[in-house]
Amino acid sequence: MPVERASGGSSLIDVLDRVLDKGIVIDAWVRVSLVGIDLITVEARVVVASIDTYLKYSEAVGQVGGIAGPKLIDNKTHEAVLAENASLKAQLAAKSGVAKATAGAVAKRRRAE
Amino acid sequence: MPETKRPTVARKTKSARSAAKPVSKPPRSPQNGNGAKARAAEARGKYVYCIIGSSEQLRFGPLGIGSEPADVHTINYRDIAAVVSDTPIEVHDPTRENVLAHERVNETVMRKHTVIPMSFGTVFKTREDIVELLRSAYDAFHDVLVKMEDKLEFGLKVLWDRDVMVREIERQDEDVSKLKQEISVQKGSTYFARMQYGRLVDAALQAHSEKYVAEIFEALRDVAVASRANKPIGDKMIMNAAFLVARDKETAFDQRVKEIGARFDKLTFKYTGPWPPYNFVNIRLKLERAKEK
Repeated sequence: MPVERASGGSSLIDVLDRVLDKGIVIDAWVRVSLVGIDLITVEARVVVASIDTYLKYSEAVGQVGGIAGPKLIDNKTHEAVLAENASLKAQLAAKSGVAKATAGAVAKRRRAE
Repeated sequence: MPETKRPTVARKTKSARSAAKPVSKPPRSPQNGNGAKARAAEARGKYVYCIIGSSEQLRFGPLGIGSEPADVHTINYRDIAAVVSDTPIEVHDPTRENVLAHERVNETVMRKHTVIPMSFGTVFKTREDIVELLRSAYDAFHDVLVKMEDKLEFGLKVLWDRDVMVREIERQDEDVSKLKQEISVQKGSTYFARMQYGRLVDAALQAHSEKYVAEIFEALRDVAVASRANKPIGDKMIMNAAFLVARDKETAFDQRVKEIGARFDKLTFKYTGPWPPYNFVNIRLKLERAKEK
């Protein structure tokens, strides 16, 4: 089936899906929002309660189904990256001769060898 | 007379500020009720569409919300700006017209700027209030603007025809086709056979849907910065996703979606965008009463 791209404003449902509770949302006092948010005369101040950006969604890989992160460099699997990480840590520990506390597992493995 | 719905708790105002803007001062006593009514009728607020990075005052033309499209312009603070238009101070219902006006402004601004979209219906009383908003949340806005720079959102909904899929499963799955055969020739009660048939078909549908969705996400992974799977709506939809795409990858993403469309000929694709990055930015602000001095 040929897929055509439709501009955002062409589907009300798609617009509603986005504009009602996404983006920047102000949890205002209901009574204040009824007449417009009035910061100065009611002596209110704006406080950032939370910020989530796409980083949250790209880091959620594996925890929530269907949410994909950026492609891993060189197509390495998570395990491969962890293994590489461990070996780099081992090299670092070997070079510096310290970092025993942080590289406990590595140290143990080296003892075992 | 909305003015009287304002919280009536007596509170101090910073004298310098309130003196500078006596018009927006709320009525303090019943005596000036008439004056308040007159003011309420003509009270103008500012509807906020989005936040952009800009040190210049910009105008976007008469696109704004309201029966007579209001002039859309910026209110600036340092290097960021709120895109606003004048509006009566009232609750804006999410009608077709209003919601589309909100979106239209965002889409127009987005052509040349990175936007952080505001959710629908945010009205401030005065220009000073918006400057205060920009000042208070400056770090958050600035940080998110940097993160979202040159990135666009696209929507991709995938639907299937359940009946076509069921027939497909009946053809492909031996267990299912055997059961179907049994049910059609069996004399007497087919209750258990039908129950089992239903279970098998449901499981097969689920497996097919998951496989399709995983394949589609995988195919788009390297042309998107991030993706988000929202809950599918209705029983025909198997995927309701948003993708964040770098501006310079837009063509590549577009091409990939079309390839996917050609590959999965049994599925229907609803592909929309570019959108402001609604699905990838969520900044929750709250108002706190400032401490009395």
